[in-house]
Amino acid sequence: MSDFLIHVTIMAGIFSLLALSLNLQVGFGGLMNFGQIALFGCGTYGAALAFEQDLGMLTGLFFGLVAAAVVGWVFASIGRNLQADYWGIVTLALAEVLRLIATNEDRITGGAQGISGIRPFFPGLESRPQQLAILALVLGCVLVAWLLCERLTGGRYGLGLKIMREEPQLSASLGYDILALKRQCMVLGGLIAAVSGFLFAHYVSFVGPDQLGTSETFLIWAMIVIGGLGNNAGAILGAFLLQFTFAFVPFVKDLTGLPTEFVAATRLVLIGGGLVAFILWRQAGLIPEKTGRARHV
Amino acid sequence: MLQFLIDVLMRACDLALVAIALSAVYSLMKFPNVALVQYATAGALLAILFQRSGVPVWLAIGCGVGLTGLIGVLLNEFIFSRMLKSGSATAMIGSLAVSMIISAVFLLAVGPTATRFALPISRPMRILGARITEWQLWSFGVVAGALLLFALLYFRTDLGRQMRATATNEVLADATGINTRRMKALIVLISGLLAALGGVAIALKGEISIQTGLDLLLPVFAAAILGGLGNPFGAVAGALVIAVAETIVTNTNFGPLLGRAVAFLPAAYATAGSFLLLVATLLWRPRGIFVSEVKRV
Repeated sequence: MSDFLIHVTIMAGIFSLLALSLNLQVGFGGLMNFGQIALFGCGTYGAALAFEQDLGMLTGLFFGLVAAAVVGWVFASIGRNLQADYWGIVTLALAEVLRLIATNEDRITGGAQGISGIRPFFPGLESRPQQLAILALVLGCVLVAWLLCERLTGGRYGLGLKIMREEPQLSASLGYDILALKRQCMVLGGLIAAVSGFLFAHYVSFVGPDQLGTSETFLIWAMIVIGGLGNNAGAILGAFLLQFTFAFVPFVKDLTGLPTEFVAATRLVLIGGGLVAFILWRQAGLIPEKTGRARHV
Repeated sequence: MLQFLIDVLMRACDLALVAIALSAVYSLMKFPNVALVQYATAGALLAILFQRSGVPVWLAIGCGVGLTGLIGVLLNEFIFSRMLKSGSATAMIGSLAVSMIISAVFLLAVGPTATRFALPISRPMRILGARITEWQLWSFGVVAGALLLFALLYFRTDLGRQMRATATNEVLADATGINTRRMKALIVLISGLLAALGGVAIALKGEISIQTGLDLLLPVFAAAILGGLGNPFGAVAGALVIAVAETIVTNTNFGPLLGRAVAFLPAAYATAGSFLLLVATLLWRPRGIFVSEVKRV
């Protein structure tokens, strides 16, 4: 396998974690989170700040997890009595506020330049074995997250989330505590997203506010809508599909001699067009949600 | 003091027309159409392109705005109304996707640099020490005129009464013989025209780029939600509130509070201020300030 393919697979794995996390919130819980990238940002900045203070990798992971859990909890608490579309806008706005803070508080976060030179994983290894080790680490994390999501959503908890998504009032009357369910769902999603951010920060060695734009959130949305809302395997498939497609756009550009804007425009058209096409013609996505009896009740 | 008022009014002008369009569309279609912020850019860019091909400026504006309204109607007919069948949140994601495709079109058609109308440059006038340019006045005139016309249509004509009836209770309006389908198409057209005029008003006093639409997104949503989505003239009040908040955040000298001579917040925090205002309002009144709807049990 060439270095390039390994790189694309690692990125696809990192995005798979984000897609799994968003799928847990949107696909199962019906929570229209448009601020997903802020949870990822908690992970990246947690790792970067711990690196700057020489606190070690695990402390960075811990920072990221705590920050993402807090942000997820706040998102869910604010959404207590808002309609889905209002809440979506609020999460979008809050994510943007967090990005503005990361850009402007340059004494702490390095401002627009971000924090670079973050220690990579496995610094003792040579470049090829190091890449392979990182690949194994990322894919291992995806596997663990996938098993965790399957276990959670295949059992009673998943049924609780689904009934909250479909009939919130009925679920409240059956004794489900909706606010607690939303909070748990957002915190769990936040933790998975923070792991993704931690892996990303140490893999690319650079953390900056430009990585946290709202368009990244829509990219993750496109992944889960195309892969299949409410299906964990679908989320992973969507992430791999889009990452690999994007990876080959620059080659098409070089082959056909089109201008540089072509790459950015194609990205936008693929994300936007994919979303529109799947919403109009195949709303269940590539791998539809499994309905019916839960497996781990 | 007068300069402060002018700054507020100019910022409110930027937001008011797009916000009113968003709110008007929400009142009948029951989903927040994100693509409206792109119609604003589209209207201005089309008008600029028309002017470059030799059309006089006011005619070019007319053509650009009219064409944008038409595009809005077509998009609604073929995409949004079909997505709406599976819920307002789905339609909102769809409108996000459409606005990404529109930005890709802009990127390929005009490139990433900002453009402006070819207008004669005039020296700013001084009124009681405040500076204001001729084109700022024109832009204000366009916004005020459009608001006045829409208010007359909405409150003084039979057509407006039918629209309001459809917005309040669609089933009842249908039963009394109002053609609600036509009303919806009409409000979509009007909102497209208003949003495009809003973009033209921005371009008249400055420049416009493919980023303008995205920069408008959150302040416009904040204004429309503050005014209570679905209450068009509340959105104008919302735009004023947001403009005041943004201008205060950027123009206030926080030095005395901190015991320093001068301490201004970074200009980027202007937007953060308006988002936090939005979140705070939604916590206090989950459906905006100017909504008096009785909640159904």
